[in-house]
Amino acid sequence: MRKTHHFLFAILISAILFTPATAQKLNGNATAAAKSAANAPLKLTLPMKDGSVKFAVIGDTGSGSERQRDVGEMMVKYHTLFPFEFVLMMGDNMYGGEAPQDFDKKFAEPYKALLDQKVKFYATLGNHDQPLQVNYTNFNMNGKEYYKFKKGNIAFYSLNSNYMDKKQVQWLEDELGRETAEWKVMFFHHPPYSSAKKHGSDGQLREVVEPIFLKYGVDVVLSGHDHVYERIKPQKGIYYFVSGAGGQLRAGDVDKQSGLTEKSYDQDMHFMLFEVVGNQMYFQAISRTGETIDSGVITRK
Amino acid sequence: MKKKTYIIIGVLVCLLILASGVAVGQKTQNAALAEPVVVSPADKAAIDVFEKEVKDYIALRNKVRENAPKLSKDSTPEQINAYRTALELSLRNARPNAKRGEFFRPETADFIRRTLKTEFQGQDRKELREQIFETELKGVVLRVNYPYAQAAELSEMPATLLTKLPQLPKELRYRFVGRNMLLVDRESNVILDFMPDALP
Repeated sequence: MRKTHHFLFAILISAILFTPATAQKLNGNATAAAKSAANAPLKLTLPMKDGSVKFAVIGDTGSGSERQRDVGEMMVKYHTLFPFEFVLMMGDNMYGGEAPQDFDKKFAEPYKALLDQKVKFYATLGNHDQPLQVNYTNFNMNGKEYYKFKKGNIAFYSLNSNYMDKKQVQWLEDELGRETAEWKVMFFHHPPYSSAKKHGSDGQLREVVEPIFLKYGVDVVLSGHDHVYERIKPQKGIYYFVSGAGGQLRAGDVDKQSGLTEKSYDQDMHFMLFEVVGNQMYFQAISRTGETIDSGVITRK
Repeated sequence: MKKKTYIIIGVLVCLLILASGVAVGQKTQNAALAEPVVVSPADKAAIDVFEKEVKDYIALRNKVRENAPKLSKDSTPEQINAYRTALELSLRNARPNAKRGEFFRPETADFIRRTLKTEFQGQDRKELREQIFETELKGVVLRVNYPYAQAAELSEMPATLLTKLPQLPKELRYRFVGRNMLLVDRESNVILDFMPDALP
């Protein structure tokens, strides 16, 4: 009899908790919490030195979702504190169709305020991106699937990790062979190292590119594909970051037992800020709601 | 005396194991530069025929492209869309009788299948297969002279495999759809040919 009372009481509580009105209220509270966090004071951990190279990183952005817009808005807020000159995009710039309206919804609108302030975006191709994106003026790829550009003492190389053929490997070797910049930063979609359970480390890509990175002294490798944030423990002296949650999130996807992780975050979307001062590269990873989820400095040897 | 001998043997065994480990590591790292599968004179002839077909297609493509709208490196989404649509239609109209097996002829297909088998064998290549099969292929219909669905995901072509397949000009791409291997026109996404069940 007492057991029956307990059972009925449990059913009653469950019914109250799961009425649409209560669910809405709970959702409302979650949204309110997110909004309140979004209004939290901005915190910059970067040194903000005159003459430094300042840039941002976003990955796997092109969902056109409200949360992608939230990340875009947070980037605008941080831009007022930290006026980054350009943004590196880690690929999957557009999920689904690529009709003209998709370019607006999934890119031009979420980052309109930054584009209006002449912030340049440099894209790389992901597995959801059609090859003709290389001709899109706002992606600054100059019609090329792989390309490089320099800013200050840094050379940035965008690679097409969807299709790493002999020609691209040769181009990379040739360019790195005559590179004079102090910092060599690679960015491409598939991560050579990752602790995410969905995709994880791209071993066959690593087999081809890592020996080249080591031979020519590449310092930092940025990628996306896994919808999480991860800073990998330095591998053979190279620093690897996975930044693939600028518009998509795979919550709880990081395998904490991988042994690769220095720091990870898989609870919300994020973007990154970087500042290079001489032989030091400062970084800060920031969540959609403005929390600093990681920060630090890399010193080039 | 006996104990000392055992210690020396133990140290030597450890050194041998370490040395073999380094050798294996080096082999893995240099895999990209490794020689492709054995190419017999018959394979060479098949590859030559394949390359000739590709060359003829590029000549036709260049001619067709002259009539498509021009595309600059600073294009708008509307210009990109107009170019892709026009190119796709023109290429399809230029090859109305295109059919499967025109590029992947039996001899070429045989060479490619053997190359794939070699590349995908072994426990350490399990991840490679999984990577290809995890690609989302909703909406993809395999039909020669028809486009690959624009909204569909593109599978990553394994870098180690690309070094071993016949090289393609920048206008063409190999692509996997499940176990099938495709040859596609890169810009228009038109499927030029495909090999069913190419992956072992």
